[in-house]
Amino acid sequence: MTNKQRYQRVFSQLHASESCLTEVTKMKHTTKRIQVRRLAAACAAAIMVMGMATVAYAADVGGIQRTVQLWINGDLTDAILYLQDMGYTFTFQDQDGTSHEVKGGGVAIDNDGVERSLTEEEILADLDAPNVEYKEDGSVWVYYHDSKVDITDRFDEDGICYVQLKTDSGILYLTIKYQDGFASSPHRYPSPKKFGTTAD
Amino acid sequence: MRLSAEDTFRKYGDRIFSAAFSVCRNRADADDVVQDTLIRYLSLDKEFESEEHLKAWLLRVAINRAKDITSSFWRKNTVEWEDYMDDLAFEEPKDSHLFEAVMNLPEKYRAVIHLFYYEDYAIEEIAVILRRPAGTVKSQLNRGRALLKNMLQEEWNDDE
Repeated sequence: MTNKQRYQRVFSQLHASESCLTEVTKMKHTTKRIQVRRLAAACAAAIMVMGMATVAYAADVGGIQRTVQLWINGDLTDAILYLQDMGYTFTFQDQDGTSHEVKGGGVAIDNDGVERSLTEEEILADLDAPNVEYKEDGSVWVYYHDSKVDITDRFDEDGICYVQLKTDSGILYLTIKYQDGFASSPHRYPSPKKFGTTAD
Repeated sequence: MRLSAEDTFRKYGDRIFSAAFSVCRNRADADDVVQDTLIRYLSLDKEFESEEHLKAWLLRVAINRAKDITSSFWRKNTVEWEDYMDDLAFEEPKDSHLFEAVMNLPEKYRAVIHLFYYEDYAIEEIAVILRRPAGTVKSQLNRGRALLKNMLQEEWNDDE
């Protein structure tokens, strides 16, 4: 018997678990490409002009403040962004004139494993990400720029929902755990095991 | 050409698993790689020229994914490969010696050895899959062989 034949005999003993296929099939069935519907034609035109940027403009207003326009629940909204050492705060008024303050932040870990503050570009990119909102009527919505989609009935028995968002730069894969966070990637669906309170 | 999830799994699942296991040496991680690779394939808008083309792509993705998992700071699956050996029904004792010897090779040799001996790829094909220069693959194959010979002695033939 040659080395190759013996090697093949040895490694043919290794088998993938059937659960791999079960998981993939389950994900495939709950993953339906959703063509998000456009809301406001005027806003869509504006997006094209600005190259799909969430922040349509960002002008210095002195120090670490920026005036920006953010897509908030489908509306392009004026906001003041305050950049801080380990995060940011932005304030805005909704269509009813009610003031809101949102805080966020985090750190990045560089190639040497050293923590550092997020850069302004990274913060703005974070704000550019899709958002998931749980409404008082029990419905769940995904917002991305000027588009929104109702995902209330799209969660599987484990409370996971997979959504593909079509963007100008390609497909954005979004994994949502009911009331337990969400993650997105331009490459594939983030594993629900990797985020939320029940992460591995 | 495109295959369904089930057909891909039935046809290539064990191959993906074996290639992944040869890198990450962990059953749970290798299963994760199979799952990730299939999902990636199903999410991909890409036509493959042939089944050989598809197989090479799946193995490349699997090996890269296995490397990522192995080097991840967050790696959680720490069951040793020795424990998995207990579940494998080797025909002869020397088969388990070979498995053990391969698992004891440095990681950089294991993928090359696996693609050569299990998948029957030529050096140039392995170079394309691993995106390494053919000279590097040849050198790693020779070093891997020499280490196997050293560990297995007369149980491993000289097969330049």
